[in-house]
Amino acid sequence: MERQEIIDGLIEVLRTVRTVDPAKLEHVTEDTDFLTDMNTPSTELINIAAKVEQKFDIEFEDEDIDEMGSKVRDVVDLIIKVKARGEAEKGESA
Amino acid sequence: MRSKFTSPDELPDTLVGEPPEQWLLHGPTKRYVDNYHWHHPKVGIVASYTPTAQNVEDHFDIFRGVDQIESFAQASVVSCGAFSECKKLNVIPERLAELFVPTFISIGNVNFHSYLEKGQTFVNIGFIKFYKWRQIVCDGRIYRAPKGLDLDAYFKDFDEQRLMKYDIGKEFVLIAELFDITGRGIKKEMFEKLL
Repeated sequence: MERQEIIDGLIEVLRTVRTVDPAKLEHVTEDTDFLTDMNTPSTELINIAAKVEQKFDIEFEDEDIDEMGSKVRDVVDLIIKVKARGEAEKGESA
Repeated sequence: MRSKFTSPDELPDTLVGEPPEQWLLHGPTKRYVDNYHWHHPKVGIVASYTPTAQNVEDHFDIFRGVDQIESFAQASVVSCGAFSECKKLNVIPERLAELFVPTFISIGNVNFHSYLEKGQTFVNIGFIKFYKWRQIVCDGRIYRAPKGLDLDAYFKDFDEQRLMKYDIGKEFVLIAELFDITGRGIKKEMFEKLL
């Protein structure tokens, strides 16, 4: 999955989050910070993470969330990491 | 207080009847839960507290609103969170406290309807809206309990449906409604970096 594809999916998720201003989604880049650039309440990051799980069919561990940064890049990196982990686990169990 | 648990195998199925000091490891002067009366780990909790003279000192003999919120958070977010994390990680509360710091993350709306004086027992009725990644969000209400009522007996047959509807007798007086009370167990090493 390409990074831009993940960002597009992430933006789709963000459109469903009440506290995210849709106008701020027009110019999202990997450097965009949820807290400082989008004024997302920090408690909302957990809700976003829960929606991201559904959108990308992945499952975050507690430690993934502990280490998650607040930039779009951090979330994209995390999605890639968790997807790879999930595929590796599938491979092992097959 | 020393832990009564020596092994996770001794952990109970619910918090009902458990001494709060075994699960709320801070205290004792800031511990605002006396008894757990009903608990369903995935649903919520009913816990009571009776403010002491020390709790209302310098405050017109009234238990402060912020302390009501604290009591509710200890009863719901902290107690339910600690219980579920101990079960998940298969550790006793003492060990959990070595790994994580229970932190207050956020408070949503709180509406106060009445007040509590020294010696007036109240119940925190909290239900779990969200619990994942060591973060727990609870809504609920605080009610002043009728004087002398046996709360253990009263809530013995309580259930999820009654909890969600706050289906308790009219003799209970609504004190506060609380929304989105949020806490999180943060890894100790991460918490220390916040300093």
